[in-house]
Amino acid sequence: MNDENNLPIESSNHDEIPLANQSLEVSEYADKKKLGIGFWLATFWLVLITFLAVFAPVLPFKDDKQNYIVFEQKENPITGKLQDRPVQPPYSPSSDHWLGTDQDARDLLSRSINGARISLAVGALTAIFGVIIGGALGMIAGYFKGILDKIISAIFIVSLSFPGLILAILIVALMDRSLTTISITLGILGVAPIGRLARAQTLSFSEREFVLAAETLGAKKSRILVKELLPNVLIPMSTLAMLVIAIAIVAEGTLAFLGLSVQGSATWGKLILTGSGLQVLEKAPWVAFVPMGFLFLTVASFNYMSDRLRDYFDVREIFVTRD
Amino acid sequence: MITFGAMNLLGDPLFNILGPVAADVDNPESLQAIEEAKAQYYLDKSLPERWSRWAWDFVQGDFGVQFSSSGQPPVSNLIKERLPRTLQLMAIAQLIAVGLAIPWSVLAASRANRRTDKVSTVTAFAFVSIPSFAMAVILFYFFSIRLDWLPDTYNATDPFWGFTHDHRLIQLILPGFTLALGAAAGYQRLLRTDLITTLQEDFILMARSKGVSKRRVLYSHALRPSLFSLITLLAINIGYMIGGSLVVEQYFRIPGIGSAVVEATLREDFPVVLAIVMLVSAGFMVFNYLADYLYTIIDPRVRTEKSGQRRKITSMGM
Repeated sequence: MNDENNLPIESSNHDEIPLANQSLEVSEYADKKKLGIGFWLATFWLVLITFLAVFAPVLPFKDDKQNYIVFEQKENPITGKLQDRPVQPPYSPSSDHWLGTDQDARDLLSRSINGARISLAVGALTAIFGVIIGGALGMIAGYFKGILDKIISAIFIVSLSFPGLILAILIVALMDRSLTTISITLGILGVAPIGRLARAQTLSFSEREFVLAAETLGAKKSRILVKELLPNVLIPMSTLAMLVIAIAIVAEGTLAFLGLSVQGSATWGKLILTGSGLQVLEKAPWVAFVPMGFLFLTVASFNYMSDRLRDYFDVREIFVTRD
Repeated sequence: MITFGAMNLLGDPLFNILGPVAADVDNPESLQAIEEAKAQYYLDKSLPERWSRWAWDFVQGDFGVQFSSSGQPPVSNLIKERLPRTLQLMAIAQLIAVGLAIPWSVLAASRANRRTDKVSTVTAFAFVSIPSFAMAVILFYFFSIRLDWLPDTYNATDPFWGFTHDHRLIQLILPGFTLALGAAAGYQRLLRTDLITTLQEDFILMARSKGVSKRRVLYSHALRPSLFSLITLLAINIGYMIGGSLVVEQYFRIPGIGSAVVEATLREDFPVVLAIVMLVSAGFMVFNYLADYLYTIIDPRVRTEKSGQRRKITSMGM
């Protein structure tokens, strides 16, 4: 990296490579301190989808499990009489079914929203698991240092050195396919990145004056960890947690697409799977594309929010060094 | 570290081998297969002994027999048959990804922060946010169903080289693109930043003032010193592509190791799952290590800690 970077380039917001000693242009500085319209759009979408998902049972949506078969007057091919005969689903989007129906004439809008319940739950549980376990481990490692730090860091590195999805499949294969198992499996995958971030942040903050002041005043270690360090570590951790949510939703979707996710419930991945067969896709592409749109918007929103927030709070140590 | 990791993986799932076998013993129909598997896995021996023998066999390339019906073919044959197809897929995907990423990032970097660049950044962001299974369905819909440009089936018995729908090279383009687009977006983000940094070096100014054309400066002066981290990322990404190939192989019905592991998981065929997970993890770790090593070798300017910063970018997509 060169030290004489004075040209007006935007230090790409999306890359985690800090350009060392780069003098900031005014425009870039301004850009950095604004979250931008995209951020609020993403927030809006996430609030909306979360609201819909949480309150889906009480909101006036169609029943996601009912088959809304449409009948029309048609000639019976055998008897030749006019009578009410079912129309072959899937039905295209209409005023009745805003986003169309699937092959079983179930309303896709309400199915997607109900799918969001599981997908978002998996994402949230994963992030919570990662933040609690990873955060605790990382902070302990960063604050107490020494042998404890060595052991915890080793655990993180080992778990980072496996391909996540393969590991998830292995665990899912060996255990059952309940919501808890899947969330914990994905949660374990989130522990290491979050933990490493927490460790790095704790390391850098524990050398700051306010921690020293607290230590001099005789505060207990647990108090310093919770009252002094935790608030500082929490923000960077939550920006990463958003990314982990996005990853978890994708991972759950992938498992569902492979038929390995929560059994019996229709998550986005499974909805996409039902619409992805050659015949359905040819006749009724919306069956796959509607849940895909939901999934994409949600994942992109989480990604983008995490990205903007990291810039906003200037979280640089996210991509901490390996030791 | 790597050895520790390998040990960890070797030790842990083996406990679970006991599970399905113990459950299946009550079933008289598959008793013979179980006996075979038992012998193969030394299930009558003590746990540490069984583990070490299994590990030794594994290292020698004997992965045991499948749990399914007759236990034939042995797992090693299955892998031998299927691994090349996955490797072909990944090679094609990697080629497409690099082929897309280099011109893309040169274009973006040469117009840094202008409209072209902003559009390309948004596009890259979108590609990164589309999961591979969604990408597979999208590409399949547009290029195979709507436009009918590319074949929709993979036939393992077709010859590889050739340019009609009956050749696997063409049949692999769609799956290849599915894997490649997300990867290309990741590469583009990295290479663009590196290129922008390089473009501010004095030797670029010098070349431009000598009268070298802009295109030539971009491709032959700026590109080369910017490629270091990309090369590392390529190595790391091979590992992540395996994860993506699970989905792609399953969706496009390519009988590679990715679909093998999914089928085996659904069948609860643990030796197969275990062998493939082991193999993939080992490959993943080798490439990770290689990437670390490669990075310090090709670019001595950068301290080793930098490799930590860059490598993490790839882990976003799992």
